[in-house]
Amino acid sequence: MRLGFPRALMYYEYYPFWAGFFYKLGIELVTSPSTNREIMEMGLKKAADETCLPVKILVGHLMALRDVEGIFLPRLVSMEENTYLCPKILGLPESVLYAIPEQEIYTLDVNWREGKREVLKSLLAFRTRIGRTKSQIREGFAEAQRWQKAYRRMRNAGWSFEESMECFETLAEPLKLKDLGFSRERSHRQKTADFEDGWLLDQGDITDSLEKKPRIALVGHSYLTYESYANMNLVQRLREKAQVLVVENVEATPIELQQSHLQKKIFWSHAKKIYGAGSYYVEDPEIDGLIYLSCFGCGTDSMTNDLLARRARQNQKPYLVLTLDEHTGEAGLVTRIEAFLDMLERRDDYESNLSSYGEHMDRHSSFT
Amino acid sequence: MKVTFPHMGNTWIVIQALLENLSVDYVVPPLNSKETLTIGTQLSPESFCLPLKLNLGNFVQAAALGADTALITGGVGPCRFGYYGEMERQILQEAGYPFDVITLEPPDGSLIGLAERIRKLAGEKNTWNRIVKAMLFAYRKSLVLDQIEDLFHGFRPRIQSPTQVDRLYEETKRRLVQAMTDQGLKDVLNWLKDVMQQSLADYVDCMEENPLRIAVVGEIYTILEPFISMDVEKELGNLGAVVDRSIYLSGWVGEHVFRGLVQGYRPLRPYYTLAKPYLNHFVGGHARETIGATVKYAQEGYEGIVQLLPLGCMPEIVASAILPKIQEDYGIPIMTLTVDEHTGRAGIQTRLEAFVDLLERSRHNLTAINEGVLELAGR
Repeated sequence: MRLGFPRALMYYEYYPFWAGFFYKLGIELVTSPSTNREIMEMGLKKAADETCLPVKILVGHLMALRDVEGIFLPRLVSMEENTYLCPKILGLPESVLYAIPEQEIYTLDVNWREGKREVLKSLLAFRTRIGRTKSQIREGFAEAQRWQKAYRRMRNAGWSFEESMECFETLAEPLKLKDLGFSRERSHRQKTADFEDGWLLDQGDITDSLEKKPRIALVGHSYLTYESYANMNLVQRLREKAQVLVVENVEATPIELQQSHLQKKIFWSHAKKIYGAGSYYVEDPEIDGLIYLSCFGCGTDSMTNDLLARRARQNQKPYLVLTLDEHTGEAGLVTRIEAFLDMLERRDDYESNLSSYGEHMDRHSSFT
Repeated sequence: MKVTFPHMGNTWIVIQALLENLSVDYVVPPLNSKETLTIGTQLSPESFCLPLKLNLGNFVQAAALGADTALITGGVGPCRFGYYGEMERQILQEAGYPFDVITLEPPDGSLIGLAERIRKLAGEKNTWNRIVKAMLFAYRKSLVLDQIEDLFHGFRPRIQSPTQVDRLYEETKRRLVQAMTDQGLKDVLNWLKDVMQQSLADYVDCMEENPLRIAVVGEIYTILEPFISMDVEKELGNLGAVVDRSIYLSGWVGEHVFRGLVQGYRPLRPYYTLAKPYLNHFVGGHARETIGATVKYAQEGYEGIVQLLPLGCMPEIVASAILPKIQEDYGIPIMTLTVDEHTGRAGIQTRLEAFVDLLERSRHNLTAINEGVLELAGR
């Protein structure tokens, strides 16, 4: 059996879970190719025009999944206690069905709000669709959790998103590798040189050599941060000039602690994480500035962005908002990043020592 | 402590009755206007949904009248409305209006917390007995308010003079505000029914036998607040259509404040069953209600549906992506109208007129429609 899985939205955080689940059940999970121009255009054409960019990209990926028996698109309701995901994700299989009328859809509700047992129940109810027994599902669920945990550990150990996903995909798709490489030994794997420095923060030597580079926190939804086609390689661009930290680099405990600034806890799983991480970076004196990566029409971002901007203002932390949509131009993005980095540099050198006559304004240009 | 609350259509009449019965010091903010929206838009984040902008405007205008405490309901659903309280507190704080925001919801699910908040609002002087009584009376008032609004839905298209209807509507609201006993509420309804019957008798000759029936569905704030929907219901009524609306205030109060213990004027429960084939899970806000109501009106033989949503409303965007399926299944025309602070009255009016024209035409050309658009164009 071959099921298709779109490389969009929830792929960026929960792919290992489903990869592990289907791996154990002996079902091949085929992921759609990385976002490209064709996928993007199909999505823009077919998706509801008012919805947000990530959902449009998702529609493109769904349409790009061919030669599969069906598409696996779960409804993720909640990923932890007392939270939900955003309404557009909750409405998922139904609200994109129009784009793929002839495809068979395999879906189930995933609700961690009520705990592990509810999720297992939902998976057990799903077994008839894929023709597996109860005990097989239980094993698959255990394996799925192990894979998800492994993914977290890899990320915490400094693996980049691309590296770890590549690893899981090779496992899930052609079923080549047999064991998970939790160890940091990566000699047998070919690594992509471009993505190294920012992630290996735990290795002292690299941090030393990068002393001059500013440290920047890039906060935003994972499906924007790692969607390198839509964000025009933002992460890589930033890494050339700065050390970049992301939401996933912050542990769960500080995220929970940061909620105490609010009189009411945020009740969206992702928004909570983004706010917690962003707020944590705002307080961190080692961080030189924050970049919030958002997309046009994102409902929860309109809130977290405002809350974080206020925190940044109060703590005098440089803060830049980048809003993506299908019309975002590369030059506009680059200009703004450069200006932001220049500002950080200047702030470092002349903070509270700005001459009102324009002296020392900029080391690159001279005022006469 | 001087309490104020945001506007949502005629809701203020009900909240005013509640606060009045509790002898709480309160201010009703000036009705929503261009100025309210301008103030709100300046303060709120650009891409936030429209109700927040108007709420902020209401609070700032109420602050000028001495208000220092804002009353609002909450929720922990995935709709952004649930987080309004905290957002508004922070925004107002930063803008120099240090409001105390009382969010009427169980904080972290604790009912004791909710009781404490109600206590804070009502003060020490009120007994729980009195608080419950005041709430139940407010609920009964909201039922009457909904009945009145629905009476006008049927009345307006049958009367040729819109100004006469408007005048009667204002007079009824004035009387309703003053009615503070159950007998008073009954009197308002009876008086209104008498007046309506008399007026209908005057127009009996030129009355449309079988007016168009159009339903307005969508996000609750937009469909209840005429300022932001550009009087959609009124415009449709003046164009000769009988309007119905998916959500009435008491239905919402019954479901969300009384947790389904009372049903209200248009209960929301049946919608959930009807929505099932199209959307099998709640997504927050009123997406399920919108879908369920659309199915209901389609089954009841309504001729057109207008969906209203504020720009960027997450649940309604999900609903609007599913509505075309219902349109196809039941063959009922559905028009989606998105409103935001830049919406112009003329734009909405034109589209409503065109919509009504289309519906009227399809009545006369039913066979032609069934044959297809091309045949129709050829005639």
